[in-house]
Amino acid sequence: MIQRHIFGHVFALEALIAAGVFVVVLALLVYALLRRRAGRQATASRRTERPRLEAYYVAVLTAFGVFLVAWTAWQNHREHHTAERPPVRVDVSSFQWCWTFSYPQAPQRRSASGTCRGDDLPTLVVPTGRPVKLRLTSRDVIHSLWVPELRYKMDAFPDHVNSFTLTLDREGRWMGKCAEFCGLRHHTMHFWIKAVSPEEYHRFLQGQQGGGGQGAAA
Amino acid sequence: MTVAPPTAKEGTGGRPVPPSGWLAWVTSTDHKRIGVLTIATSLVLFLVMGTFALTMRAQLAQPEQHLVSTELYNQLFTIHGSGMIYMVVTPFAIGMGVYLVPLQIGAPGIAIPRLTLLGYWLYALGALVMLAGFATPGGAHADGWFSYPPMADSVHSPGAGSDLWIAGVFLATTGTIVMGWAVLWTGLRKRTHGMTMLRLPVFSWSMIATCLMVIGAFPALLAALGLLAVGRANPAIFEANVWNIGYQHLFWFYGHPVVYVMFFPYLAAVSEVLAVFSGRRFFGYRGTVLSLLVFAGLSMSVWGHHMFATGQATNDYYSLTSIALLVPAGVEYFAMIGTILGGRLRLGPPMLFALAFIPQFLIGGLTGIMLGTPVIDYHVTDSYFVVAHLHYVLFAGSAFGLFAAVYFWFPKVTGVMLGDRAGRLHFWLLVIGTNVTFLPMFALGYLGMPRRVSAYASFEGFGWLNLLSSVGAAFLAASVLVFAVNVLWTLRRRTLGSAERAPDDPWGGHTLEWATTSPPPRLNFTPDHPVPPVTSFAPLLDQRQRREEGAAAGDGSRP
Repeated sequence: MIQRHIFGHVFALEALIAAGVFVVVLALLVYALLRRRAGRQATASRRTERPRLEAYYVAVLTAFGVFLVAWTAWQNHREHHTAERPPVRVDVSSFQWCWTFSYPQAPQRRSASGTCRGDDLPTLVVPTGRPVKLRLTSRDVIHSLWVPELRYKMDAFPDHVNSFTLTLDREGRWMGKCAEFCGLRHHTMHFWIKAVSPEEYHRFLQGQQGGGGQGAAA
Repeated sequence: MTVAPPTAKEGTGGRPVPPSGWLAWVTSTDHKRIGVLTIATSLVLFLVMGTFALTMRAQLAQPEQHLVSTELYNQLFTIHGSGMIYMVVTPFAIGMGVYLVPLQIGAPGIAIPRLTLLGYWLYALGALVMLAGFATPGGAHADGWFSYPPMADSVHSPGAGSDLWIAGVFLATTGTIVMGWAVLWTGLRKRTHGMTMLRLPVFSWSMIATCLMVIGAFPALLAALGLLAVGRANPAIFEANVWNIGYQHLFWFYGHPVVYVMFFPYLAAVSEVLAVFSGRRFFGYRGTVLSLLVFAGLSMSVWGHHMFATGQATNDYYSLTSIALLVPAGVEYFAMIGTILGGRLRLGPPMLFALAFIPQFLIGGLTGIMLGTPVIDYHVTDSYFVVAHLHYVLFAGSAFGLFAAVYFWFPKVTGVMLGDRAGRLHFWLLVIGTNVTFLPMFALGYLGMPRRVSAYASFEGFGWLNLLSSVGAAFLAASVLVFAVNVLWTLRRRTLGSAERAPDDPWGGHTLEWATTSPPPRLNFTPDHPVPPVTSFAPLLDQRQRREEGAAAGDGSRP
């Protein structure tokens, strides 16, 4: 769940900085409101600018911007660093208005789909502790695969394959959604992502146990 | 009784139509009338788009609610977004420029007045054409304001509403470009004697930067719409990825600069109000001018940050240019805060809106930096977090600037003062409504609510945050109602002659428009109200200071 970790770090830091900046600006505003009111006999300053102070300020802003760009770009690369071990592959095909997950490494071709109506949601089954490479495409319009719990999404285009690698460190089941508006039933285009132990995943691939079929519950 | 002499010509001042009739209004080449037409049209559309938003908030107040069908909901969010961006906030901004720039630079009129009028008509026609989609059997267009293909092609969006949307947005944007050219040309070439570039008021400078972006970036939207139109004739085009992703590039090359087109004029209106109501010169003028130009330049290099999740953009580069924007934005905040810290603040209604703009827009700006960070954007893009962000920028920011501008310049435009107590009520309702409506949306997006959903399941836990947001929307509705009643009531009293007359300069203004009458005469300045000497970007303040100094030196008789 490296995406979730990295998102957590970067979001926390940026939110903290943002809150700090907001508090400083708000404090200056409140100070001006309290102390510079016409009723308090304040006199307006005639100073038109403070170029030296402004230059220092711009330098600080620039340095800060450089840090932010460099640090977050590094985090972004860390997140997309491909693991050494060969990943588990899953092909994801999106369509109006549901998903198909196929497992090209299964002995017999195995795939799960659904209608995304009511409880009929397809389940994407992945093993824990191993990198899983999702190859993402679309049969009609642009969709976007989003698993809020993993703090990650990627768009699915027709005539184009996007891929990204996930690693889940614990077992569980989370909901995924379509994030790109795709028409009438966009708001119900959900799926389940279910992380199981490698042994169970192996059994699943062999077709011995359900879990990827018609919205099998965890 | 003698036969009356033929007086028909007399009342018209020698013109083919009487100047006070509606025909004279809609055919006028007076920049003030074109400006007022543009602003009034956009305010009417603002009310229409607002009712769409209220309908959506009503639907989302509870989980699994279907007050309107999904089809209609999808049309409402599409036309709300398209309407607000293409037909309300952008045209209002340009309309302010059409009205104010010639006055602020001491010119008798606008450059290319007939084309400016054509621009207004293209805009008004475009708005009508887009809204006409609701009258077609399939309803209006339903693919969001950026309408990516292939969803927007004729296979997936077959209705005529989509064609009308393309035509309407194309017309309105063409009109905006024409008006943008007129304002730019006016600011550059029609300045009065002594009005050097570095004596242009902040608002006029912002319009120059704005119009540079209009002429630089808006044609990309026309190209994108053209591509969409071709693709609707032959949907096979959008079977190839290159045109789908190509559309996104073309669209966002327009779509990001337009954000600053919808920001600069309001920021600058706020700056003018802050300076005037602080009783001092705007602080850090040169830094602000430079930052506006840097901002406008950078704005054309950041578009890919809308495409971080496409897997087909150079995320590092767009992140770099996007985060770099914090430097010019920081300079603008430095100037605004500096102005009030050294001021003597008077809290009239325009000032209230301007002061609230500072922290509220900041929330939009700071979350903008977050969205410019790819690892954060992957999670929150296309979620309610983005909806919250853009409404903080455009509503908590620009709309507050818009209202500050309305309260500030209303006396100049109409010659009467806009109700003060209703203004304060409007302000407080708007502050409550804005924050209660849009703050919960950050949390909703973070928790996983996608944007553009007509309903959500009850087990997802979005219920109470959405309810809170809808309660806030009710405050917004009340607030805008107070505003509308205030404006209409004041105008009605003006017709009856019982409204409070506005002096030439009710606020102690700094810029040239306050030196002429309220409302200004046909050619802006007359021998009774000549253009004052332009000694800085705040010539009227200079004049007052010279008088004070003269009085202090015992030379009070000097004019």
